[in-house]
Amino acid sequence: MSPPVFKAGYLPGLNDAEVMWHRLTLGTPQAPFQVEVPQLSPAQMTALAQRVQDASRAHLKTMAVSDIVRVIDKATARLLDRHDTYRQQLERLMPQASGFDAEMVRLNLNTYLQTFRSLQLQRFVAEDFANPKVLDEFQPRTQGGWTRAFGPELLVHVWAGNVPALPMWSFVSGLLVKAGSIGKVASAEPVFATLFAQLLAEVAPRWADCFAVVWWPSGDADPLSTERTAFALADVVLAYGSNEALQVMQARVPVTTRFLPHGHKLSFGMVSAAALSVHKGPGAARQAALDVVRYDQQGCYSPHVFYVQRGGPLSPQDFAHHLANELAALQHKLPRRALSLEEAAQVGAWREAHEFAALNAAKPDNANLTVLGHADALSTVVFSERLLPLSASPLNRNVLVVAVDTLDDVMPLIAPQRDYLQTVGLAAAPEELLPLGQALGQAGVTRICALGAMTAPEAGWHHDGRFSLLDLVRMVDIEASTEHAAERFTSYEA
Amino acid sequence: MQDDSMNTLVSELLAFIARPAISDDAFNALALKLFAHQFEHNRPFQKFCQGRGKTPRVVKHWQDIPAVPINAFKDLTLSCVPPETCARTFMTSGTTRGDVKGRHFHPTMAVYDTSMLRNFAQHVMQGDAKLRMGILFPDEVLMPNSSLAHYLALAIGHFGTPDSAYYLDDKGLRTDALCEALQNAQDSGEPFAMLGASYSLVHLMDALQARGQSFRLPAGSRLLDTGGFKGQSREVPMDAFYDQLSATFGVSRDQCLNMYGMTELSTQFYDAGNRQVPSVKRGPHWIRSRLVDPLTGQDVPAGERGILAHTDLANFNSAVTILTEDVGQAQDDGFVLLGRAQGAQAKGCSMAVDNFLKAAQA
Repeated sequence: MSPPVFKAGYLPGLNDAEVMWHRLTLGTPQAPFQVEVPQLSPAQMTALAQRVQDASRAHLKTMAVSDIVRVIDKATARLLDRHDTYRQQLERLMPQASGFDAEMVRLNLNTYLQTFRSLQLQRFVAEDFANPKVLDEFQPRTQGGWTRAFGPELLVHVWAGNVPALPMWSFVSGLLVKAGSIGKVASAEPVFATLFAQLLAEVAPRWADCFAVVWWPSGDADPLSTERTAFALADVVLAYGSNEALQVMQARVPVTTRFLPHGHKLSFGMVSAAALSVHKGPGAARQAALDVVRYDQQGCYSPHVFYVQRGGPLSPQDFAHHLANELAALQHKLPRRALSLEEAAQVGAWREAHEFAALNAAKPDNANLTVLGHADALSTVVFSERLLPLSASPLNRNVLVVAVDTLDDVMPLIAPQRDYLQTVGLAAAPEELLPLGQALGQAGVTRICALGAMTAPEAGWHHDGRFSLLDLVRMVDIEASTEHAAERFTSYEA
Repeated sequence: MQDDSMNTLVSELLAFIARPAISDDAFNALALKLFAHQFEHNRPFQKFCQGRGKTPRVVKHWQDIPAVPINAFKDLTLSCVPPETCARTFMTSGTTRGDVKGRHFHPTMAVYDTSMLRNFAQHVMQGDAKLRMGILFPDEVLMPNSSLAHYLALAIGHFGTPDSAYYLDDKGLRTDALCEALQNAQDSGEPFAMLGASYSLVHLMDALQARGQSFRLPAGSRLLDTGGFKGQSREVPMDAFYDQLSATFGVSRDQCLNMYGMTELSTQFYDAGNRQVPSVKRGPHWIRSRLVDPLTGQDVPAGERGILAHTDLANFNSAVTILTEDVGQAQDDGFVLLGRAQGAQAKGCSMAVDNFLKAAQA
């Protein structure tokens, strides 16, 4: 018996039979997971876009943001409910599709979903709009005149597949600004967006036509491709992916369309000597290990390197040993997913490069480089006494720990990666926070959080230093002069 | 004396290669002997093995000898004798890591040459004593550190007729002279063997196509390509490459041979023609290959793709077992090559090493 095939996509107004379906095989060679994704024709895309725009005008743009928040909250509550069928489907299908351990998906999903409950969503809106009512109607400005924020008629999302459930951020952002949305799922993760769209339509039936979930082959050079058709119809294109993929997309987005790319990012951790007491140091290492283990370092916020300060009761090398042990221990609770041959080869090459450097004792540069791995090769910590610049690890639980005299020494080491910097997981004393924040911000970092929180950005975070909602809208001003002039045209005598 | 122990090993090895066939036990015994020798006399190799917990005391099967990744030939000095005393040093072309080249030290060429000649006679000469050869690669004077240049020099020196020649020098491809030789072979009915880098054959075919020229080489002629395209010529899908070779020179795809060799090895693999691609590659009795998980070094389950690890007894001075970056799959009594284990592309906005390198180079 052939295994069941997951039908991805959410296509209001289209029958399955009218659509061409493309078969993808996800999962692992041992446990393949078959998915069919919808591949619309350009004409179907045009019709779908029209339908989504019409529906969002009628049913989303007419709602108050506070009501939209209530609907999303209801959907989130269902996804947090273990007995809900959507939740059960997510728990079952996402590990199968991604290869990630089921328990890891479950735990991460809970943390993640908690940022999409009513209180957090309201904070999310308030983060970008001091007066959220500006999304509902024209609001008076203190200097005179009126302003209102208009969401896009059509927002096109291009999602990435590195982290399960990633589409929820931009999906929800689109709803909060009342945009009609068409999202393209990544070949690697078509499950979440599909189920989320279905659930929303169930929770709010009048929203049923306000969004769609599709797929198209990336890199189709045809000038009349479905991708270009979608981009041409959109007000805003919000895209996640590799810089190469984004570059290609950018060339296809009309200049009149706003393009919001989220490309490659590098994140890292910093541990102050203040956090390295005999009692607290191991805890810091455990939190660092959790940041590494969650989604096997596949997120843009996942750490590649930890810079650890000398001078505390625990040395940087001690920290590296604790980290290696924690990683090994977490393997039992949250096993790493099976690697493809290519991924394994990449990890192997990275490990070996450090092993060879360590063996080259003749070169003094390489003194005090230690590879702390376990024979099972499920995670590796490479420890360096020598300053090493921030560089990308091969992911999948392989990190570098670098000893530094002061955390200020880190700044020149990260400077070359300025364009790619994102999150810093920081363990430091209160008096260190703002000076370090100042230096890191200047270096290009956009998010600083506690160790252990790297993979769980707070609601309303400024993703890559930008505004999640504000970047999507168009502000429309009625200037004071209009109002003053209007006063002259009253029907009554003043 | 180390020299004595090496000379004894070399004699034993030459005798081993000369035997018509060997038993599993004999292969195992000699592999372990070589491993012990290298462990004793090659300090970086010893430390590498100790790091893996694999010493001659615990390794009892040739499959357990730690496979040295080919990058180690770049970063470490893998030799049991001082490198400056070696007869020849072969270097990799340095295509993957810029100017960092892998180095393979050969204290004597006796083993390499014996291995090459015996294997070449069987798979390329196929019973012929001599053939007229055309070489599409620079000679050893131009490329003294190229193992392929040495390989081809052995071929032409031992198996080439006096009218054999090199058709590639520091000024490039000698297309006119080669066309003359090919025409001459075609007219005379004497078989012709053309050997060279895969990309040189592409360049040649492009040049001939521009001239609108093709040949019907006599029966018994054969072509041998090696090394792939390495960014030196356009990338040609394998089927198209052999179709075009066959059409351009009139040699059936059965006689279009491919040699798979590496600077880091002292023995080559051959297929029996490329009627079907990817073709099955086989090595002689003094080399054995495994398909492994590159992280654990364990054999992959039967039939699955793995990274090729070769135990080459002719690698007596460097590392008897090496780990390649080539993906293979077991087939019949050999393996097929499925390309290189290119770094996995990071999905989405995370950044993996490969993207990082590209970004760093941009």
